[in-house]
Formats: sequence, structure tokens, C-alpha cells
Amino acid sequence: MSLAKLLMPFAAVIFSFTASAADRLLVYAGAASKPPTEEAAALYEQRTGVKVDVVFGGSGYVLSQMKLARQGDLYFPGSSDYMEKAKRDGDVFPETEKVLVYLVPAINVYKGNPHGIRTLKDLTRPGLKVAIANPEGVCIGAYAVEILEHELSPDEKAAFRNNLANYTESCEKTATAISLKMADAVIGWGVFQHWDPDRIESIPLPKAQIPRVGYLPIAVSRFTRDRASAQRFIDFLTGPDGQAVFAKYRYFATPEDAFAWVGEKKPVGGEYVVPADWLKK
Amino acid sequence: MSLRRGTVAAALVVLALYGGLIASLAWFLDPEALARALTSERVLFSIRLSLFAATVATLLALLLATPAAYALSRYSFPGKEAAETVLEFPIIVSPAALGAILLIFFNNPLGEWVQESVARFVFTFAGIVLAQFVTILGVAVRMLKAAFDEVPAELETVARTLGASPAHAFRTVTLPLAKRGLVAAFILAWAKAMGEFGATLMVAGTMAMRTETLPIAIFMRLASADIEGTVALIVVLVTIGLTALHTARRLLQGRVDA
Repeated sequence: MSLAKLLMPFAAVIFSFTASAADRLLVYAGAASKPPTEEAAALYEQRTGVKVDVVFGGSGYVLSQMKLARQGDLYFPGSSDYMEKAKRDGDVFPETEKVLVYLVPAINVYKGNPHGIRTLKDLTRPGLKVAIANPEGVCIGAYAVEILEHELSPDEKAAFRNNLANYTESCEKTATAISLKMADAVIGWGVFQHWDPDRIESIPLPKAQIPRVGYLPIAVSRFTRDRASAQRFIDFLTGPDGQAVFAKYRYFATPEDAFAWVGEKKPVGGEYVVPADWLKK
Repeated sequence: MSLRRGTVAAALVVLALYGGLIASLAWFLDPEALARALTSERVLFSIRLSLFAATVATLLALLLATPAAYALSRYSFPGKEAAETVLEFPIIVSPAALGAILLIFFNNPLGEWVQESVARFVFTFAGIVLAQFVTILGVAVRMLKAAFDEVPAELETVARTLGASPAHAFRTVTLPLAKRGLVAAFILAWAKAMGEFGATLMVAGTMAMRTETLPIAIFMRLASADIEGTVALIVVLVTIGLTALHTARRLLQGRVDA
């Protein structure tokens, strides 16, 4: 058997994995939307026959992947910060950007709140083990730092950092840190409670301590090979069926819903520059 | 095609594949980003941390793997087959799953006791060493067992008939004859520990100046969509890793050949 004949079956298998069929979409998504996005993607396939492959990870990480792979139909980061970067770098079509849902930061603890954590200041209690997402690459990490910088005195900040066990690498892992008892408390999203209701409880922050309401934007990638098909998936997600899936996981459909949960109107989205001492270049 | 030409061509293909991949980094290599990386306190910390953790994990793994591999090579005992079967477990389950398993272990009462009473592993330096140790232990045992299998048991028997105790025969006959295998096991285990990422990330976290090893630093640069920074750190890791391995191979191999 010649070498070419020998290699042919392998080539066929590899091609079948890499071939981009017309009825397939590739989404690079921040992990902040993992549970509902998976469900919405399955529902979309069921309705339209278009398979939606979703690559989840930190919002910046998946943006790097999309740029390096030079493929992907949609970019769906976990916050506005990385969408701003993607727009600046020309990685998405800015006019296609849509806000899907809104998120509110909260303290997350193990179900039953064994350490009796009620406020941000409780996180400075000696002996407590806390974690936040890495503010360098993970959106909720930057929100956490913004809240801490804004609300804690220098002494309280020092006490918090004394309790700070480490940074988690993604939004998902910040929730997992509670599920697997890696930390006594984290600053995450309120929705974490609905990701793992048997283990995670969210403690809402007082309205004065919430600087911003986050949102999840989505846009068509400039690497798409079928812009119309990508746009149809956005339309599905922003339509009633897609929104119903996100509502099931208690993501807020409108800023007003988020404001109602918080208790007052707050700025929405935007970028926050994390102070250097949290990052260390 | 002669055997020589065919096999040399295969070796050159290996070199071209890996060499080509490394050379392709130049496409995104920004000398300024590289200079920044090499003078950054944070990167220097990551380099030291990676070298130190990988060396500690490798030495600990060889300390346990050497007697274990000898037992698997020479003796029959209850549980031997199970012990052999489980050696590839860390490779099969993937690094991320291995990290998850470690985290799950620390959630059971024994794991909680270990964390409270022995040492804290989650989110700490000890967690890096543990993740690397668990990753490389099985493969180290497998390689050392192969090395001991190559040493004829009769040589030990002869040494014993000449009055050597089993331990003495092991130290003076078996170990020296298995040196090549030991060297290979050390090099492979160290390299694997140095590049370990998935389990370390899961167990030890990503904080700079605390548990950020070089592979984690690379991941965090990618996570910030900083491709030039990522490439600079990959170049640093490849250079340090290959230089260290080349030096170790020359030093250790020299001793073995002497």
C-alpha cells in the first residue's frame, strides 16, 4: 500500500473535524454565560438544524483564540471591557453588537452561609479565606477590585488581601471555588447561585456598594464566513426564546430589571482600570 | 531508501516539526515585549517559581518512584497488578481532570483533615508541587521500572552470594546499571513538571508573585488578549526549559558514560 493510500483515511477523518459546514456556527464565549448559552445553543440547533459550537473560557482568552485561529462567527464576552477591545482591534463588526442580558455583582458563599457573611466588611474578618477572579483577564475580577477599592478603607483592604487566598482563572472557576469549598467567600455574579443551587448562595451587596451593572454583549466576528447566519443566531438570542433561556438562569433581560434587583439605578457597562498593585506587571 | 537515510530523514522531520513551530513564534515576537518580560519582577518570580517547584516535585517523585519501581520490577506482592495499572492514570484523565480530582479529594473528610492539620495545598506553593508531583509520579515509576527490568536479576544474586546485603546489592549493582534509565526518568519528569499547567491551574490558582508559574503566566497573558506578551513568555519558557534540559543531559549523560 502506498503512503498516500495509507494516509488517506487519516486525512478524511481530520477533514471531517475541521471542515466548516454551512449549517454550523462557532461562538467564542466568555464563561460568564456558560449554562444558559449551552442551553440556548442546543435549542437553536433543535429549531433550525444549525449546529452551534461554543468555545468557553475567559473573555480575553477566547478573544486571543479567535484572533489566532482566524475563525469564528460570533464573539460573546462576559463583559463590555473585552468587547470594547475587540471593537478597537477590529475583531468584530461594531454595528452588529447587541446587549443580551445584564448581571449584578454579589458576594457568593457556600449554601447555608456557614460563616455568617452579610457584608463586604465581613470579608476582612481574620481567618476567613476569600478569592476573586483574576482582575487581569477575567471581567468579574475587575468588578471585584472596583468594589473593594471603592468601599474598603486602606486598613480594611489590607485585611481583605490578607484573607485573599488567590485569583481564579475564569468566571466559572470563581463559582467552582465555592462549590468545591476552595474559599469561604468570593465576589462573583449574583447568578452564580442559579448555576449550582445546591451549593452556592449569593449575598446581595447593598445598593450603595454596587458601582456598575455588567452586561453581556455579543457581536459578529470579522472572521465569520456566513455573516447572515451569525446574525440570525444573535436575533434568536435577543428574541423571546433566547431571552427565556437566560431568564431561567435569572440573568436580567433589561437594565431596569437589574436596577430593580439592586434597588436603584446604576451606570451600565464601561471599562474600569484596575490599579497596578492588584496586577503586578 | 536505505535504513540510514530513512531513519535520519525521520529524525530530521521531528526536528523540522518542533523547530518550525518554535521558529514560527518569530511572527508575533516583539523585541520590546521580550525585553519587558525579561526585566519584569513578576516574570523573574515566575521563572524562579517554575524552576524550583519542578525540581522539588521531580526529586520527591523520584524518591518514591525509585523503590516503588524496584519492587514492581523484582517482587510479587498483593496489589502489584493494580499498582501497575494505575501508573498511567494521570495521563489518561488529563491534567484538568487530575486537578479537579485533587480538589474533590480536599473536599472529603480526609482531604479536609490534611488541609487543616498537615499542609494547605489549595491556592498555595505546596499545591503547585503536589499537582506536578501527582502528574509525574506514574510516568517516573513506569520509566524506572523499565530501567530496572533491563538489569539482569542474576547480577544481584551474584553480589549476594559474594556477601552483599540486598540493599547493598541494590546500591552498588542495580542502581549504577540503571543510571541511564534514572537520568531519562529525571529529565522527562522534570520537563513534564516544568510545563505542567492544567492541574496546577486548578489547584494553585493564578495569582502573580504567589502561584503564577511560567505556564500559568502564559495562560494569563492569553487571557488578557495580549498575544505579543504571550509569545515573549513562551520564548522565555522554551529557552529556559531547553537550555536546562540540554545542560542536565550533558552533565548526567557524561557521568553515565564515564
